[in-house]
Amino acid sequence: MHFVGRSWLLLTGFILFYVIYLLFGALVFSSIERPMEDRMRTELEVLKQEFLNLSCVSDAALERFLLKVLAANKYGVSVLRNASTTSNWDLASSMFFANTLVTTVGYGHTTPLSDTGKAFSILYALIGVPFTMLVLTACVQRIMFPLVLAPVGLLQRSGLEPRPATIVHFLLLLILVVMCFFVAPAAVFSAVELSWSFLDGIYFCFISLCTIGLGDFVPGTQPNQQYRSLYQVAVMGECSC
Amino acid sequence: MATPDLLDPKSAAHNCKPRLSFSIQPVVLYTPEDECETRTTVMRWKTVSAIFFMVVLYLIIGATVFRALEQPYESSQKLAILAEKLDFLAMHACVNSSELEDLVKQVVSAVRAGVNPTGNAFNQTSLWDISSSFFFAGTVITTIGFGNISPHTEGGRIFCIIYALLGIPLFGFLLAGVGDQLGTIFGKGIAKVEKMIVWKVSQTKIRVISTLIFILFGCLIFVALPVIIFKHIEGWSTLESIYFVVITLTTIGFGDFVAGEKAGGSDNPEFLNYYKPVVWFWILVGLAYFAAVLSMIGDWFRVISKKTKEEVGEFRAHAAEWTANVSAEFKETRRRLSVDIHDKFQRAASIKRRLSSELGINQEMTPGKRSLSTTLCEDREAYPNLTLSLSPATGSLARNGSLYLNGLSPDYADRRECTFIESLN
Repeated sequence: MHFVGRSWLLLTGFILFYVIYLLFGALVFSSIERPMEDRMRTELEVLKQEFLNLSCVSDAALERFLLKVLAANKYGVSVLRNASTTSNWDLASSMFFANTLVTTVGYGHTTPLSDTGKAFSILYALIGVPFTMLVLTACVQRIMFPLVLAPVGLLQRSGLEPRPATIVHFLLLLILVVMCFFVAPAAVFSAVELSWSFLDGIYFCFISLCTIGLGDFVPGTQPNQQYRSLYQVAVMGECSC
Repeated sequence: MATPDLLDPKSAAHNCKPRLSFSIQPVVLYTPEDECETRTTVMRWKTVSAIFFMVVLYLIIGATVFRALEQPYESSQKLAILAEKLDFLAMHACVNSSELEDLVKQVVSAVRAGVNPTGNAFNQTSLWDISSSFFFAGTVITTIGFGNISPHTEGGRIFCIIYALLGIPLFGFLLAGVGDQLGTIFGKGIAKVEKMIVWKVSQTKIRVISTLIFILFGCLIFVALPVIIFKHIEGWSTLESIYFVVITLTTIGFGDFVAGEKAGGSDNPEFLNYYKPVVWFWILVGLAYFAAVLSMIGDWFRVISKKTKEEVGEFRAHAAEWTANVSAEFKETRRRLSVDIHDKFQRAASIKRRLSSELGINQEMTPGKRSLSTTLCEDREAYPNLTLSLSPATGSLARNGSLYLNGLSPDYADRRECTFIESLN
């Protein structure tokens, strides 16, 4: 009974710590983001008023129009003149979407609109997500040997003690991972995506690799992007890593 | 990391510490400190690449289906909104097309930032008040990442990265802990059920049935009930609610449907305060439930395969033992038989010799009979030595016996002599 009690205690301790962590995050986010939000809101209000003053449009008519535009925009349909004529659902983009679905990243920049699409994505996800997990764990297991054990063995043979060898190897690996998966793609993104800064590129890489996938940055969705399909395929490959 | 047998009732009863099983999130940064335990066999490259190609194929199939389903709908939406725009421009002739474009662009980027330009600015609640920020932090840590709210300042983004780096493993541990507790409770329940069941049902059947019941029960609580609640509160259709539940609990999290989003500006702020935390709690427990189910099924498969291996091994051992016994028995019988026959032939040969010698010396039969009995006795005394020398090394002796038999049979075996000896015995 003592052990059972201790495990429950541990669990509640964990939950409590988790809640505190969330509260802490909430406070920090709130204090950072809220001022900017307020500023944006006032700017938009001013813009709207200017527009209404200049033109003969009534408030109600503008509201209706804006609602419709926003509803369409939510699903990725843009009303702007220079919006790309390529669809959001051509083969490469659909594959990109399917990839975000099975890796559970889920950007949300394009979402299924039709009912059948939604039903199909439910089924597709239910099968695809565990499957992808299995594949990824298998790959990780397989890569473990040449990536971890062999170099550590090499280091050990070259004279290092096991513990420092592991630490050295870990540091090298960390640096390699950061270079390959964060810095290099971020550099590429900041070159290709016009409105992204380097920090935005790193932010995007991180959010995608953790499968959070907020969707505020999605590569390849700018209008008139060249080689869009190729680009999206490359991003997909990086994401599935 | 090796997890002990979850479904074994004895170990479930003793299993008190929260174990760490594999988290359901795919591991990106791994620690090389954990020595790779070789309990699970590492797949060969061929298998891994085969699975990889299957995944790619799966993606291609999904892509084609999605395209076929969604593209027509999308084009109709595009046409509709363009028509709206033209209508608007036509109705309000003083509006310049480019001005409208500008406005729309600004509005869209504002919506991206989470600011809703429709309606009055006064009766709107911020997207970054405490409860919404709490919800956002939750979506980041659970890696769901709806995206309806996202940080826009540089500081916010950097903090988001650091926060997620620390929070995701934390949540992983929590999930593992809760999942293990659920699994242990379930394991104990199965143990009780197994004790209760009187008639003989195989253990596998019990486990299958109880796992199915567990999954069904969990689906009822964590899927069906929230669907009904969301339908009622958010006003979504059934399909949309199911879609939201599945997309959220698999941590995909598109963000096209988010519970509690519409409730900004709702006229009942009290219920709103409880709604979002309840949704978050449901997400946590639902995720833990799915993690528990997955780990249980994984453990179960491991147990099944181990048990099957054991059973097969046992069976093989039994079979080998039986075969060995049978062959030993067979050899023994053959040996005894061959010795027996050899003895008989020996006796027949010696009797024949004596008979012939006696017949050669004596003319009477009756002393022959007496001498026969004496010689038989003598020979019987000789026999124990013979049999003793025959007992060890059954294999070689069996061969020798058979050789003897073979050697004896054509030359010495005579049917009449055999029957004579038999009648003597």
